[in-house]
Amino acid sequence: MADICYEDETSACESRPLWSSRKWRIGVQRFRMSPSEMNPTASTTEEEDKSEGIYNKRNKQEEYDFMNCASSSPSQSSPEEESVSLEDSDVSISDGNSSVNDVAVIPSKKTVKETDLRPRYGVASVCGRRRDMEDAVALHPSFVRKQTEFSRTRWHYFGVYDGHGCSHVAARCKERLHELVQEEALSDKKEEWKKMMERSFTRMDKEVVRWGETVMSANCRCELQTPDCDAVGSTAVVSVITPEKIIVANCGDSRAVLCRNGKAVPLSTDHKPDRPDELDRIQEAGGRVIYWDGARVLGVLAMSRAIGDNYLKPYVTSEPEVTVTDRTEEDEFLILATDGLWDVVTNEAACTMVRMCLNRKSGRGRRRGETQTPGRRSEEEGKEEEEKVVGSRKNGKRGEITDKACTEASVLLTKLALAKHSSDNVSVVVIDLRRRRKRHVA
Amino acid sequence: MEMIGGDDTDTEMYGALVTAQSLRLRHLHHCRENQCTSVLVKYIQAPVHLVWSLVRRFDQPQKYKPFISRCTVNGDPEIGCLREVNVKSGLPATTSTERLEQLDDEEHILGINIIGGDHRLKNYSSILTVHPEMIDGRSGTMVMESFVVDVPQGNTKDDTCYFVESLIKCNLKSLACVSERLAAQDITNSIATFCNASNGYREKNHTETNL
Repeated sequence: MADICYEDETSACESRPLWSSRKWRIGVQRFRMSPSEMNPTASTTEEEDKSEGIYNKRNKQEEYDFMNCASSSPSQSSPEEESVSLEDSDVSISDGNSSVNDVAVIPSKKTVKETDLRPRYGVASVCGRRRDMEDAVALHPSFVRKQTEFSRTRWHYFGVYDGHGCSHVAARCKERLHELVQEEALSDKKEEWKKMMERSFTRMDKEVVRWGETVMSANCRCELQTPDCDAVGSTAVVSVITPEKIIVANCGDSRAVLCRNGKAVPLSTDHKPDRPDELDRIQEAGGRVIYWDGARVLGVLAMSRAIGDNYLKPYVTSEPEVTVTDRTEEDEFLILATDGLWDVVTNEAACTMVRMCLNRKSGRGRRRGETQTPGRRSEEEGKEEEEKVVGSRKNGKRGEITDKACTEASVLLTKLALAKHSSDNVSVVVIDLRRRRKRHVA
Repeated sequence: MEMIGGDDTDTEMYGALVTAQSLRLRHLHHCRENQCTSVLVKYIQAPVHLVWSLVRRFDQPQKYKPFISRCTVNGDPEIGCLREVNVKSGLPATTSTERLEQLDDEEHILGINIIGGDHRLKNYSSILTVHPEMIDGRSGTMVMESFVVDVPQGNTKDDTCYFVESLIKCNLKSLACVSERLAAQDITNSIATFCNASNGYREKNHTETNL
């Protein structure tokens, strides 16, 4: 149960204290995992409840240390949160999750049978030293189900969005982009991924612009009301995993990295304004790249593509670059993360760390020593507005358990980024791609 | 409205002479060797009083500036006071400290200097003026914003000018959007009031659909 928290930070993202008090806020937003994530043997709620006592929040001293491991938060095992579930995470259910906000650690799960139908993944997302949380993560396993006479396959959707200017474009991507990709996927029989993704991103971009003209998100911190708020955008790195392929569509400077046979293979190339081809494209469109605290479009935006950012069109475009990679037996895992990670951690270092987590035979017990004082607990519970657990720990009916290793890996990467003084929000998704022998359980 | 209409005819009578000379006088900057300067103009289809009401609020630049998330001013916003501005994410700054140098409600002049912040705009000084202008036969506003700033090491004059101009263009575009929306609301409201006088029921419908 991750609950990384700098004490003064607890009111951070969503609440609005005086800005002056937030000015120097340095710390990690709390984020959590479900108790069962800490307790691999948990298969019943009773066991989960029991685990609360053991896997509690670390003591205060540790909380000031970003490198410390996460610990559990009992508040997360409340029944209502149990009901928030990614089970079956098809679109209708993911809609239910759309209200769930910014900071979350979402434990993934694996099924004991038909492992490829249920991917193992983990996610961690922290506000870090930033004033506001503007990252968003979307996880939609089995967002497309295809069934033929002989087989059934499922496609899984993972998306990481890094907002700038405000959080509302990233939040909108989290709510909608997978639905658009799903619509495009279902209407396209030939699986022309590049076109499908391009269409989805274009539609997303148009929706963001149009949506800005009509409705404004309730949580939005924008002072400017619609439709004047067009200086807001988001990166998007989206991966669709099918049984045969890994499709990555990227727009902006978030990144997808595949670990294949121990080697880090980037599946996307960051859209930086000084990338030669991007520089040419911007200049041909009549724009200019100025080195002003790094290369920036018009001296303003430090990325050359994004969803939203209407004010920088056409120099900044929403067209994604798409890669389609055949899956092999050597594929180990895929990392999607925002530049909060990649600015301070190399692809190789990230892969090495995740590899350590996934290959550890038994990862449990490490956090056992970390306990939380009861007083701290209640304090925690009162300040929960910005962190939610989205995933379900397990579903006894379906015999699923969470994927501890992936979650642990993603949490560790966020901690590494913070320890390396990342100044940005950090969001990491780790997807285990190793194919498991199918085990059928009665 | 009538008053503004009168102003407009005056301006038209004086013609280009007024714009060229008296306006330029208000935008005089002393530009040193290592500095650059420029003037931008934006026409807005909203009456002067409305545009000025947005511009003059030294303590609330976020009402129209798209890159500012928060602003705090200690005490009354009077000449010489400071504002601490928080810049939105994704930009090459997070904070900026700015001083109110000039605020003339008669002549519609706002002068601001940037005196600090984690950005590369040193010795930045700007003057913004608004002037009545007929646009498509309606009373509109011409906004002029000029600036002078140090050219930082590693950049050319041209780069620096282009960058600041980009920012100002965004601000002025946003100022236009906000004021034009407010102007449209004003018209809607007056229609609603008119309808209210003639038919209370219809008025209600109008407000709902138009707002």
